[in-house]
Amino acid sequence: MVTIQPVTAAATSHPTPPAGFLLDVIEQVGRAPRHALVAVPLPPGHGHDVEPAVETLRRWCERTGNELVSSSGNVAQVRCGRRRDPLADLAPDLVPGTRLWMYTNFDCNLACDYCCVRSSPQTARAALGADRVRQLANEAVRAGVSELILTGGEPFLLHDIADLVGSCTDALPTTLLTNGMLFKGRRLEALRQMDRARLTLQISLDSPTAETHDAHRGQGSWDRAVAGIATAKAEGFRVKVAATLPYELTHVVGPFHAFLETLGIPLGDRVIRALAHRGVAEQGVELTVETLIPEVTVTSTGVYWHPVGAEHADQLVTRDIFPLQDAISQVRTQFSAYRADADAAAQWFPCA
Amino acid sequence: MPSPLLVGAVAYTPNVVLIWEGMRDYFADTDAPMDFVLFSNYGRQVDALIAGTIDIAWNTNLAWVRTVGQTNGECRALAMRDTDTVFQTVMVAPAGSGLSGLESLRGRRLALGSQDSAQAAILPVHYLREAGLGTDDVELLRINSDVGKHGDTGRSELDALRAVLDERADAAAIGINTWEAIGREELMPGAFEAFWTSPTYSHCNFTVLPHLAPERSDPWLKALLAMDWENPSHREVLEMEGLRRWVPPELDGYESLFAAVKDQGLSTRW
Repeated sequence: MVTIQPVTAAATSHPTPPAGFLLDVIEQVGRAPRHALVAVPLPPGHGHDVEPAVETLRRWCERTGNELVSSSGNVAQVRCGRRRDPLADLAPDLVPGTRLWMYTNFDCNLACDYCCVRSSPQTARAALGADRVRQLANEAVRAGVSELILTGGEPFLLHDIADLVGSCTDALPTTLLTNGMLFKGRRLEALRQMDRARLTLQISLDSPTAETHDAHRGQGSWDRAVAGIATAKAEGFRVKVAATLPYELTHVVGPFHAFLETLGIPLGDRVIRALAHRGVAEQGVELTVETLIPEVTVTSTGVYWHPVGAEHADQLVTRDIFPLQDAISQVRTQFSAYRADADAAAQWFPCA
Repeated sequence: MPSPLLVGAVAYTPNVVLIWEGMRDYFADTDAPMDFVLFSNYGRQVDALIAGTIDIAWNTNLAWVRTVGQTNGECRALAMRDTDTVFQTVMVAPAGSGLSGLESLRGRRLALGSQDSAQAAILPVHYLREAGLGTDDVELLRINSDVGKHGDTGRSELDALRAVLDERADAAAIGINTWEAIGREELMPGAFEAFWTSPTYSHCNFTVLPHLAPERSDPWLKALLAMDWENPSHREVLEMEGLRRWVPPELDGYESLFAAVKDQGLSTRW
């Protein structure tokens, strides 16, 4: 049977289109598959004004559980039924706000030639700071975040990195991204203070031999990263290894996996990702807010769409870091809107 | 795990596939799994129920009446939608027509929907006869589109309304669902007004025959009645099917249609 929502709206007086208009709409939308977009011709009224028809259509959609998507010229787009929440179609671990990324700082002991946030020894620190990290960690628990991820820059350049990490691991399981090159002296002592049960270290390593890694990250960096992996494992930490590769090489990783096997890194702890055309990278995968599933990312300057764009204005969501729940809600709302636009475009521009 | 119960339904829109795939998915997580078969019309579906090809038929009120007739009343109804217990027929006319009550149709033209639509054809004629109005008193304009689907598509009722707008009829008989769909008198003020509304009657139900043992149907019925509007995954299916909850059948609500079918001598098929 035709599905009808209960009548709730009150009558208002306004110009109305020809009565047959709504009968045509009901027949047209009633034949369409749920979630399909239907192009509804709008009959012009006095002075070719289609606004009365649009208003009638809007009120009809509200009452009957359909959605007026847009109107332009003499045509309106109506979605049959309300669109599905795009968030409901995501795997649970991909829902924005499941993880919270925090850029602890932007300065780095390296100057990788593909760094997506232009970090280097000359880059300003732009530290998030211990107080904000602590507040974010606490608010993250209330906001339903299940994992915290700290990145930079190189977080181990911070003198208070152990405190920062401690306030995170006290709240939630945490992953700390590092180049693994600084595990000596006071920084090694800082590492030893961290909670091995709640912290995972993710160390960057791009290749099974020094040549490729060093070409992008600096002479001698591969040896020190490999040594850092060994140190971290010897200290009892879970270690993940992350490689950044040109897209065309992301499937040529057999030797790399074999090498990681010798380091004792299990398959599930190996992250291989394509180089993004962001920051100082001259090439790479183009990533936009419309195409990226967001990973809520906080820096000292605001909340960003994704860590790969954390110093790019196009990925800034809000300057207001707190309350965190509001920022997460904003990201989710924006994501739903982008998906709706993409779905609409996909339906309206078939090529064959 | 028992073999799935096979439920029959009539495909009157593309969304029927989504509805029954959703139902199948829901029941897959219960101890009463089901699958479904779609038919092009209710006649075929009732045949399949009686032949044992399907275990349960999602029947309109007319299909229920015909199943009762063909099984000597041995079939039983398991459940219906909450909205099926309060279905009504509405007589509408142009706003300001001055029509009031069925008697005011005397000497006028009434547009009816498909001949196999209980709400838009069979029961309206029944109500007219109860009011003492025969075909000599009211000129009937029958619009037989989508015959076989018992008025499910609603198309013939929209055509009946168009007939009123085009002044080919003075009034139209439509289901309460179509009246709601056009926003009653509110979305198109000055277009239509309701001048008579029927008593409530029952509409669709899940029909089974005696050979489906209660051990098979009871777990399915229990799972059906457990569908919850507050559960988002259930709600999507419930919304599409036009209900908030499944309820036990109200068989008294079919009395008017049994009487109408008998009185009008209607065919046992379509």
